[in-house]
Amino acid sequence: MHSEVMVGNKACAIAVKLARVQVASAYPVTPQTTITEYLSEMVANGEMKCEFVNAEGELSTQVIVQAASRVGARTFVCTSGPGQLYMHHPMHDTASRRAPVVMATVHRGNKGMQPDHTDLMSQMWTGWMQWYVENNQEILDTCLMAYRVAEDKRVRLPVAFGYDGYVLSYTAEPVEIPEQEEVDAFLPPYVPMPNILPDKADPASFGRGFGEELDPQVPWRMQHEALVKAKDVIKEVNEEYGKRFGRKYGDGLVEEYRCDGAEAVLVAMGSIAGTARASVDRLWDAGHRVGLVKLKCFIPFPNEDFQRIGGQVGAMGMVDRNVLMGMGGAGFTYLRNALYDFEDRPKILQFHAGLGGKEVKVTELVKAGEKTLRAAKGEKVASMVEWV
Amino acid sequence: MTASRILAEAGYFDGKYSQAIPMYGTERRGAPLTAYLRFDDIRVRERELVHEPDIVIVLDPLISRRQSVADGLKKGGLLILNYPQPPQEVTVAGDFNVTTVDATKIALETLGRPITNTSILGAFSKVVGMPKLESIEKAILHSFPGKIGEMNVAAVRKSYEMVPPPIPAKKLDKPVKEEVSLQVGGFGVLKSVAEWRVFTPHINLDKCTGCRSCWLFCPETAINLVNNKPEIEYDKCKGCGICVNECPVKAIEFKRESA
Repeated sequence: MHSEVMVGNKACAIAVKLARVQVASAYPVTPQTTITEYLSEMVANGEMKCEFVNAEGELSTQVIVQAASRVGARTFVCTSGPGQLYMHHPMHDTASRRAPVVMATVHRGNKGMQPDHTDLMSQMWTGWMQWYVENNQEILDTCLMAYRVAEDKRVRLPVAFGYDGYVLSYTAEPVEIPEQEEVDAFLPPYVPMPNILPDKADPASFGRGFGEELDPQVPWRMQHEALVKAKDVIKEVNEEYGKRFGRKYGDGLVEEYRCDGAEAVLVAMGSIAGTARASVDRLWDAGHRVGLVKLKCFIPFPNEDFQRIGGQVGAMGMVDRNVLMGMGGAGFTYLRNALYDFEDRPKILQFHAGLGGKEVKVTELVKAGEKTLRAAKGEKVASMVEWV
Repeated sequence: MTASRILAEAGYFDGKYSQAIPMYGTERRGAPLTAYLRFDDIRVRERELVHEPDIVIVLDPLISRRQSVADGLKKGGLLILNYPQPPQEVTVAGDFNVTTVDATKIALETLGRPITNTSILGAFSKVVGMPKLESIEKAILHSFPGKIGEMNVAAVRKSYEMVPPPIPAKKLDKPVKEEVSLQVGGFGVLKSVAEWRVFTPHINLDKCTGCRSCWLFCPETAINLVNNKPEIEYDKCKGCGICVNECPVKAIEFKRESA
């Protein structure tokens, strides 16, 4: 293990190298571009044995890694904002065909260059797992864990992990890099599904309907159930990573910070969770019992975690760096869904923050925490929805 | 940006956690940008920009004359300017200490190019007391191995030796409010890009044949044609020097901006 001060995109590229990815494809788009550059450089100078395919656009990059994955290669693809939207169609097929592709989404909003989560959130229905990452160290760790989860026989589904463009992609901070042997022990070579190649004697279908004699709903149901069950595998892999490398992220799905004895919690995703930690420290220093839940695994949504935490607090303040037009924040919507069946459910407040790359300040989240606490104590708050 | 990353790494070599945040849009290399840096004993978690810095470094000698570089600087803080004159002659005023070093001159002498990113870091190390000079040198050689790194290290050592101790800045009589903020966040918001220039093109109309090469090649459309002769709109000119290079009769002279 050694450490280095590096930007988020370099941490990502190093993780891809450590994971011994065999086929990578990408089309450069700000703020993802430097991952492509680091990877090209490492492949060109022989540091990394990988087929790096330059493509003419993101639609092709997704198809390339999907095909490579289906014939048994470990694959990586990365993109941002508009590139993410352009690869939407084949993303459905990648998940549908159960190809364990891993993708880094370096967040860039859909209304400009600056970061918000609307790019990856737009892919909510493609059947990919979605994880949101807080800092550069977590980028490296998450990328390695993603391959273990995606390739697990019980899962076989693609993972997209997202981190905020600029805020992490171009910010330099210390990152610990594990040794190759340690990573090899944690992440053995990818073993593809049997019968993956066309075989007339034993025909198999991946993702498409089976024919008229079978229920066409079956592939949908299988895929959905595999995604829900993936939560257990994510927890397992996170535990093992913690044992091997000394770092884990809560239970792998959510991470609680100073929630013991808290009367209310803020819920935040991605780099905003880092800022929220500083806010929560200030709240406790001022005698306000407000904790933080970092929502890392957005899909599959950790209903059980939130039901447990929901039983301990009077209110939750969901901080969303996104908006589902005409509905509300995605985190807010999912969170309320998770707690609906739960009798003793807390109040849930909505804060939209950081859309269009708007800076999120420690003091603003302190105010959000204070408001959530007032709601927890039964005080009336002016509005349950707020654009910070 | 390079300066902030090198400082972040050097601080980490000294045992501090660090975080370097750059803010820029679709600009050219060397254009004014703002970068933010934090040092801490624990891993830095907050991601907001630094609005009330303890120390401000200004790399651009022309911007070093603007009062707004000290916006938000804490009382008793420190201002380090790339400035050809001694700290006594600094016009930026307020309740803080100030020092200067002619980083552009050092860079031109040592590197042959006006890249002040590294040369100012020696001054920082000397007056702040951290990161250690050796750590800065190690960080530079890590980013730029070989001869380029060694030239930059020489520049750092020079500014370490040359920088005078900080003195209290002039008193601020009344608050100054400048119309254009220097905060360059996301896309550039400066109305004029004149301050980007280190060198300025000057057209000698007697030599000019009116061939329009400069007008054709200027990437910023900063050259207009008046009576078939070029005229530079200096607010739009970033000082890239392409017109100087393209002029077939060498009618455009490239002179360093005087600070």
